[in-house]
Amino acid sequence: MSGAAVAVHGLTKSYGRLAALADVSLTIRSGEVLGLIGPNGAGKTTLFECLAGVLPYDAGTVVFDGTRLPPRARASRIFYVPDAIAPWPAQSVGWALDFTVGFFGGRASLRAEVIERLSLAPFLSSSIGTLSKGQRKRAVLAIGMLTPHPVLLIDEPFDGLDLRQTREVGAALRDHAASGRTLFLSIHQISDAARVCDRFVLLSGGRVRGEGTIAELRGPDPDSDLEDIVLART
Amino acid sequence: MRARRRFAWLLVKEWRELLASRAWWVMLALIGPLVGVSFINAVRTYAELSGLNGTSAGVGEAFSPLVGVWAPTFSACELAAAFLLPFVAIRVVGGDKQSGALKLETQQPIPPAWRIVAKALVLLVGWVIALVPAAIAAMLWRGYGGSLYRPELAALAFGHVLNAGLTIALAAAAASLTEHPSTAAIVTLSVTVGTWIVNFIAAVHGGLWQRIAEYTPTAMVAQFQHGLVRLDVTLASLALTIAGLAIAAVWIEIGAPVVRRVSESAIVAAVAATVLLAVTFAWQSWDLSEARINSLPEADEQALARIHEPLHMEIHFAPEDPRRTDLEAKTLSKLRRVLPRLQVTYVSATSTGLFEQTAAHYGEIFYDLGGRRAVNRLTSADGVLDTIYSLAGIAPPAETDDSVFRGHPLAVPPRRAGTVFYGIWPAAVVAAALVHRRRRA
Repeated sequence: MSGAAVAVHGLTKSYGRLAALADVSLTIRSGEVLGLIGPNGAGKTTLFECLAGVLPYDAGTVVFDGTRLPPRARASRIFYVPDAIAPWPAQSVGWALDFTVGFFGGRASLRAEVIERLSLAPFLSSSIGTLSKGQRKRAVLAIGMLTPHPVLLIDEPFDGLDLRQTREVGAALRDHAASGRTLFLSIHQISDAARVCDRFVLLSGGRVRGEGTIAELRGPDPDSDLEDIVLART
Repeated sequence: MRARRRFAWLLVKEWRELLASRAWWVMLALIGPLVGVSFINAVRTYAELSGLNGTSAGVGEAFSPLVGVWAPTFSACELAAAFLLPFVAIRVVGGDKQSGALKLETQQPIPPAWRIVAKALVLLVGWVIALVPAAIAAMLWRGYGGSLYRPELAALAFGHVLNAGLTIALAAAAASLTEHPSTAAIVTLSVTVGTWIVNFIAAVHGGLWQRIAEYTPTAMVAQFQHGLVRLDVTLASLALTIAGLAIAAVWIEIGAPVVRRVSESAIVAAVAATVLLAVTFAWQSWDLSEARINSLPEADEQALARIHEPLHMEIHFAPEDPRRTDLEAKTLSKLRRVLPRLQVTYVSATSTGLFEQTAAHYGEIFYDLGGRRAVNRLTSADGVLDTIYSLAGIAPPAETDDSVFRGHPLAVPPRRAGTVFYGIWPAAVVAAALVHRRRRA
């Protein structure tokens, strides 16, 4: 882990009178796995979509390696994998991966490794729309892992996966980060987040309630775990 | 180079999405019988008027295949463009939004216009494939011994491709603007119905409405179906198509603030309106029909070409007066093509003219050619032309039968057409769809 890859300052987003994000500031360090944790409705997906430039926001700046990134320029630095999508449902998984490499300029050399790590080989010729929730999640994760953007945001990477798959995917994501990619994961299962992430951002009511490692967030109580911290702060 | 490769990937993706779209296959399967029923009825009527089954031969001797066969046959394509193509276009444009693919694709920093252009190009290719039954009809007609005049058929096909472009642009804009495909379908069909209402109002009120109605898809296609290629209509439909696609490109950029998208759309609309206004001054047109149904006799055109002064006609006919309709269709529309400085003003107090018959001047046509004036009630082409020649001091050309279109009568029933359009075509489409589906699986 090194310096800040992405610095977010004062990100604000409202839906009418409802403030989805209020003055959100955080830092994503290069090469880390950062976890975004918060209760339902905290604004996690909104934050990811604003960061990726797929949702307009009202105020705030995003800085990448010291350079301010307007939303349009963000697409070359940050890639966001949304939750609960079935992109190109009529196309096969194998073709979707080829398309990702060709269209996004991803790394073709990673294709075989990603397929193996996410156990996608049996479904390569299946249409994405016919896959189960867990299979589809792994296919979408593979798309994200093949993209060339230095920073990868994944909304709920373990949603729909069973215990074994969760562990396998978690390990694959850790190894992916170790190869030089920066990951920012939105995870609602605290135990999964604790196992995979280096640092955490706690979000509640559209506001950042804390940012740091477990030790940094723990405060005066040395025995509290991540669950206790989240419950106390959000 | 890299950008071109990415665009190629987009094209491949959109093509695969079109092939995976049931809506396209359904349109393809349905357009065969639609074209078939129109073609078969048209050929049968044409044959009967040409003397088949004991009907008096000779009635159809002045028949043009363009009017008798191709206009009705291609009208099936117009129907498909209005009611089937929008759903295919909405599926291709709106599908990405529904599946979440748009959120992924947006993260490739290529101009959003490329995404829309790729979709539009693929949809246009899909539409050209859907025109294959019309091409088969032309081959069958040729097989029956029928005459094919390529320029008029090309004008007809061009008009239907332009019309499809308009439909695709409208559906793309609607799919980008709305959240759900069903809303997009309602918006698209509402606009289509809206253009019909404009045509109806134009027929009742005339004036500016009539001018606007000339640029509705229905009116545009009708002109191409008569072999008339008008520069203003062609440019207007291209401008509307580009404007629709531009608005679709603005709204497909989901990361842009709504205020910016609204202002960009307003700029597109303003530019389109300016271009539309400008193209109305383009008067050039080409009559590609073999029978020259959109033109005055060549001798008259040559004589009228010698008139350089502006001609103003004040015509006292109500919009729904059949004499006005007749005068417009048979004389004025042809006259405008050779006298670009012709200005026509209609005067009437009511829309039907039923209770104006006794009013002073009703039914009269006032002419003003460079200050020389005339007034009469003649509505036939000969009457109008003679008045203009007399005002211009030009001797009317001698009548000649040399350039009169003699027609191509054909007393042949539509053999094998039923089998082709109701049997072979739908079966071939279903088989192709199944083969494609199996290969995909």
